[in-house]
Amino acid sequence: MSNNQILGRGINNYFAQSYQKLGAKRSYAWILYVTGLLVHIVATILFFYKKNKSTYSEKYEQQRANIIASGICDEWASEYREQELSKANFFNQKIDEQQLQTTIKQLIDKRINKEVEKQLLESNVEQKSYATYFSELLTKPSFLLVTFIPGIFMYAILILCSNPFVRFIVERIFQSLFVIAGVAILVFTILYISPFDPARNLLGVEATPAQIENFNKIHGLDQPYLVQLWHSLSGLFTFDLGNSLAGKEDITQSIMNKFPVTLEIALFSLVMAIIIAIPVGIISAVRPNSFLDYTFMLLALIGLSIPSFWQGLIFILTFSLKLQWLPATYNPNNWVSIVMPIVVLGTSITASIARMTRSSMLEVIHEDYIITARAKGLSGKTVILKHAIRNAMIPIITVIGLLFGGMLGGAAVTEKVFNISGIGSYIVDKQFIPDIPAILGGVVYIAITISIVNMVIDVLYAFFDPRIRSKMKQS
Amino acid sequence: MKFISNVKLLLKITQEYVNAQFTIAFSAIFSVLLLLYSFNFTEGVWRPYVLYGFIIYAITTLYVWLTSILIKKDLTNAQQIERRTRLLGYPLVFTILAGNVFAAGYGFMLITKNKTAEYTFTVYALMTQIVIFMLSALNIFKPYVVDTFIVAMAAFIGFAIIYTVTAILVARYVTPTYAPKWMQVLGIVLLLATLTGNLFATLLGFTLIRKARNSDPSAIEKWQKTWDKILRNTMAVFGMFFIISMFSLSVVSSWTFDYDFATQNNYSALLQGPSFEYPLGTDDFGRDLFSRIVFGAQISLIVGFFSTIIPAIIGGALGAFSGYYGRHTDNIIMRSLDILYAIPGILLAIAIIAAFGANTVNLIIALSVGAIPTYARTMRANVMQIANYEFVESARALGASDSAIIFKHIVPNSLAPMIVKSTLTIGGAVISTSSLSFLGLGVEPHIPEWGNILKVGSTYLETHSYVAIFPGICIMLLVLSFNFFGDGLRDALDPKSH
Repeated sequence: MSNNQILGRGINNYFAQSYQKLGAKRSYAWILYVTGLLVHIVATILFFYKKNKSTYSEKYEQQRANIIASGICDEWASEYREQELSKANFFNQKIDEQQLQTTIKQLIDKRINKEVEKQLLESNVEQKSYATYFSELLTKPSFLLVTFIPGIFMYAILILCSNPFVRFIVERIFQSLFVIAGVAILVFTILYISPFDPARNLLGVEATPAQIENFNKIHGLDQPYLVQLWHSLSGLFTFDLGNSLAGKEDITQSIMNKFPVTLEIALFSLVMAIIIAIPVGIISAVRPNSFLDYTFMLLALIGLSIPSFWQGLIFILTFSLKLQWLPATYNPNNWVSIVMPIVVLGTSITASIARMTRSSMLEVIHEDYIITARAKGLSGKTVILKHAIRNAMIPIITVIGLLFGGMLGGAAVTEKVFNISGIGSYIVDKQFIPDIPAILGGVVYIAITISIVNMVIDVLYAFFDPRIRSKMKQS
Repeated sequence: MKFISNVKLLLKITQEYVNAQFTIAFSAIFSVLLLLYSFNFTEGVWRPYVLYGFIIYAITTLYVWLTSILIKKDLTNAQQIERRTRLLGYPLVFTILAGNVFAAGYGFMLITKNKTAEYTFTVYALMTQIVIFMLSALNIFKPYVVDTFIVAMAAFIGFAIIYTVTAILVARYVTPTYAPKWMQVLGIVLLLATLTGNLFATLLGFTLIRKARNSDPSAIEKWQKTWDKILRNTMAVFGMFFIISMFSLSVVSSWTFDYDFATQNNYSALLQGPSFEYPLGTDDFGRDLFSRIVFGAQISLIVGFFSTIIPAIIGGALGAFSGYYGRHTDNIIMRSLDILYAIPGILLAIAIIAAFGANTVNLIIALSVGAIPTYARTMRANVMQIANYEFVESARALGASDSAIIFKHIVPNSLAPMIVKSTLTIGGAVISTSSLSFLGLGVEPHIPEWGNILKVGSTYLETHSYVAIFPGICIMLLVLSFNFFGDGLRDALDPKSH
């Protein structure tokens, strides 16, 4: 056998194996049917052609006749009769002779079928299902060559999903796409069924019906629901949302201008939160119920309970008005002015992460393998830094991903307090009209950011956590 | 050496000693705050009333410190707190009149050896009543009071006397497992006190009646044990005390506070500082901030309660179905909820309010919708775990229908984490309510609500900062209380945390 042949066989088996694995799941089987429709039509015709020629059904009938002729059926019949009678006796039911007969007949039929199948399997005669037939076809290089072009999508899926890790990523991306589309449809629908009339709000009470009709026509507000929905969705995904209802500004452009400001503040807050919260949580967990622990956790709870807009006001009052250390409003050219928004936005997330770190660490510290590490004679520091933190970090990272989303939402309030023209305050400003495309764009782009962040975290997990990887391979 | 470690252990498990430490810490913090506030730095003069407050708090701190030393000595010498030391608790009880709830609570705990859950309930019911009486009494400095004021105040005094008597009776006759039969009558009287919103009295009445009837000892024991665990957590008790006081105050405010002071403009008293007539000052329309904050508590509690209970029920039901049926039902429900979960709660609320307008009902709906997925996830996880237990299997073998199994067997057993979650999220709902009102997207601007008051306050931040400070403190304390109480509940109900 030449090298080429081995390689060729490897590729053939590769597709067949991948098909068998994926085909076991019903949803995937359907996707494969649809994507490789042309190939499957040809294969189905071939399958039925072959099946008619096969000897399986002939042998089946033969075996069946054999069993019935052997007279074992009478033995089974008395067995089942006894069983049914005692059952009826136990439940105090009346026995209907005719019904009893049919039940026994059914039971015997079932048993004969089972017996035949068992015997046929023993003598190595099996009925080929379409799936096995198709995967056999996939091992033939000639079949692959002929069908590669018409079934290109199916083969692409087979290649992508052959590796459990890649398959996980593909699945996760599709899930995110589904969620994002769902968010867009949901938010659009909410705004569509709104009883408010943007035309009335913008043109004023004195506007004539003709003016209003004209306004609706310009912005496409007179079109049916599905048309508007389609326009909005395609606009969202091609980054062209058109002009806003008020002021005729390009929505995508203004969102692009405002998004980086919000993202910058949110990211800095997140960094601040992680730098402060994780050491605090670890210290609290290492010395539970100590004075330090109580103080930290009390501070964390206060940080969780303080409304961010009030905290912003108090900060402005103390640091800007009384002490005059920091400017009260945000100015992109002055980096000092970003300090207060960062602290205010990051307070509650710092508190949450600190609490989460503490509880996660406490849980890990009490596990057996930590005791083992101690018993091995490792120093307390090594045990905590090398063994405990790594495992405790897993739930913390998930929580950070989820909190990041909440933070982008909460940014609206902080931005209003410090007069920052970010995406949050943009949405709030636009809601009074309500400016449907602007609000839709703002909310959906934030949701997309959050989905991507969470997706990346999920994928990173699968990459770093050996337990998840081994679970993936098993399934 | 062994003896000392014993004393240390004894100190740790002695409730009174731990309580004393807490009281010292809090009284000391308040003393320092009062001392700082008593001197007006810009004008260089002392504020006399604040200074008196400081002196009272400082003396209390010293006194509590002294009792803690005595407790330590008693435990070292006699392994228990002696009667002489317990008597020292009586004067501390009166610190409630200075608003020092911590010291008063400690005093009540010190004076009796027989500390049942009922005793704690009674004591805190009494303290709630006194605080409400004092807060309502501030209205006598107003030009006039509402017609029902005198009657309500008399009722408060009456209830305070009932609670005092109950405290004595409970300390004497009730044990952790037994209450005399005649206590049922007392229990019914206490249940009547629910009308004043004093939920401590409700809890007390309910527990007393159950114990006196003694019909189901195992259920009583379970109830008692859970409450013992919650009440042992000092911070959880104070959280509960503050929540119930707020609730009770907002219930009785219609009888003791005049709504006109909170909403009617009074151009002769614009932006006045704190005084006896206006305890927290007035705003830019001359409206009394104290009354506004008291009435604002109503809105905050109502919105917080409904925007927690509605998603808890809807999300809980969806999660239960999803977890019980699994497979396709699970996939469809949870994937659709993922969509809701991807939008941050505040943004979804803004979108809903943008579409349907800003008012209280829409606010509740908007906050509820965003909270559904988290409840569904919590419930689903519980149900999935419980659906595999033997008792569910046996119910199925007995021929119970799916709905009966879900609602009679699974849901009651998976409620504990839902209760904990709800308590912890009420605080979040209160913050969201005031945040949205602050943005002009929540409660209508003419209604006294904490966020609305703060919105006004933010415009006068430089000149009249008190307008923005006081409502913010109230929001923070209420949320903090819910968080403390929620943490206490979680520690008591969650079998995982020891």
